[in-house]
Amino acid sequence: MENKIPSYLLKTANSQYEFAEVRRRSRLSFLDKTILNSANVIKSIYIQAENASKRNIVQRINPHVKFISLIYMAIIVSIVSDLTSQITLTALIFAFYILARLNVFQVYRKIFILTFVFGFLVVLPASLNVITPGKVIFSLIIFDRPYHFWVYNIPQNIGFTQNGFQVVTLLFLRVLNSVSFALLIVFTTPFPSFIKSFKIIGVPDTFLMIISLAYKYIFILSRTIEDTYFALKSRLSGNIKNSNIRKLISGRIFFIFKRSVITYENTYYAMVSRGYQGKIRLHSQSHFTISDFIALVIIVVSGIVIVLI
Amino acid sequence: MEEIISLRNIEYSYYGKIPALKNINLSVKKGEMFSIIGLNGSGKSTLLHIINALIFPDSGNVMFDGNIITEKSLRDKNSGMQFRQRMSYIFQNLDIQLFCPTVFDELLFGPLQLNIPLVEAKERAEQTLSYLSIGYLKERPVYMLSGGEKKRVAIASVLTMNPEVLLVDEPLSSLDPKTQTFFIELLLELNDAGKTIIFTTHQLDLIEHLQPRVAVLSDDHTIRKTGSVSEILEDKELLISVNLIHEHIHKHGNEEHKHYHSHYVFHKH
Repeated sequence: MENKIPSYLLKTANSQYEFAEVRRRSRLSFLDKTILNSANVIKSIYIQAENASKRNIVQRINPHVKFISLIYMAIIVSIVSDLTSQITLTALIFAFYILARLNVFQVYRKIFILTFVFGFLVVLPASLNVITPGKVIFSLIIFDRPYHFWVYNIPQNIGFTQNGFQVVTLLFLRVLNSVSFALLIVFTTPFPSFIKSFKIIGVPDTFLMIISLAYKYIFILSRTIEDTYFALKSRLSGNIKNSNIRKLISGRIFFIFKRSVITYENTYYAMVSRGYQGKIRLHSQSHFTISDFIALVIIVVSGIVIVLI
Repeated sequence: MEEIISLRNIEYSYYGKIPALKNINLSVKKGEMFSIIGLNGSGKSTLLHIINALIFPDSGNVMFDGNIITEKSLRDKNSGMQFRQRMSYIFQNLDIQLFCPTVFDELLFGPLQLNIPLVEAKERAEQTLSYLSIGYLKERPVYMLSGGEKKRVAIASVLTMNPEVLLVDEPLSSLDPKTQTFFIELLLELNDAGKTIIFTTHQLDLIEHLQPRVAVLSDDHTIRKTGSVSEILEDKELLISVNLIHEHIHKHGNEEHKHYHSHYVFHKH
């Protein structure tokens, strides 16, 4: 057989080049971050789906019941202004997490990060006596005398007040309970079922379909980004200018947009082919069991008890 | 056999500039297995789009069961619905084909759009899940399926509409050998059950397996020949001219062979 292989392909890898000493790493750090985020999206979707498909007691509850509970609990959390009631609610939600057999440590770590930023740090200044008057329990700055400036009155002793702390703690617990209960529902309900439960408040099927498609494309897009990154990574080595990487990435982004448009058009064709005529009809899983009613009763009664404490 | 699909003098171009199909004339009979073969870019998928009335030709007529299908005729809700119920299309790209939240939703989508009562739709869906041995996927989100599973769900999603005609674009693309065998047997079974099946492919071994009537699309977007599998595969000049066969080398042990790439006629083993 006549051999037409270019001569360089016949050389072995060792005989070609001596690799220069590695002085610095190839500049892919921002790409690495992008892919890390992208991979995290995929991972979290998988984890969510895996958790939701478990057949534990909380996962088995009808998604409609969970959706009603979510709205009900959001109301309870906002109307309860007593610290003991909020702490009781925190304990109740935690008990649900145990029943759902979720990775409590991992989930609560996320919840606490969110809550610490939005429910504590952001509102912490509100506990100062400059904003919330009251008895100072922890002084920060002590001036020689109080100051009056325009409509502002700066006291001699600036610090955290008891009332302020109570307000911040209440807000913190409200955010904590809201976030943890919402995540409990998200982690224990298959996403498609959860979306479909919006039907009970009259959200049209077409809108639900759009949300489902968007969710699906986040997944597909994340995978595309990941694959694109691996393809780039496998061919890039050494020192590459950032400007060149930017060119590559922008080219890929254009490609992804173009693919999205084609995908959108063809998905429309696929829908038309299966009878879509402008209005979507989805079925909803409205199969209620006795345990669903019991779960609903438990939630409602717990809410009432918490309000009455 | 009675004619169910007929295409007369079809011309189609992209953006009015890039020709995709030229002077296409085809006729498919009820219950027939029909294949459109050709290279990538020859216009096979576009032709299926036109047959399924997803796009409309620049000129020429598409007839379905004796009626001319036009954009206007499908605007009538009943005619449109009837047409969609009678003819289904399995796309090559399964991420496009599967757009519902879960597998069960996919199976119910078609029947529900066609106003089939929910109880009957669910019954069909359950039976189809069981028929294709994918009951375990029922509540799975579609983006979490493997390639083979997606293919099974895709065919299940159109079978629940109980179509008379099944259009399949590249049936075996990206499938492992086991799923390929499953799909070939399924197509044969459905054809035996009376379904008209039209599929596109560039794999000559697939038409050897399924023995359909074949139309050959050439690079210039015209149909070069229509005939039985043996008539097509024995026409060496035709297959070379449309680039469906080419000289290639392969080995038997240490012995090398060089011949045209069609085991059907040129290299029987």
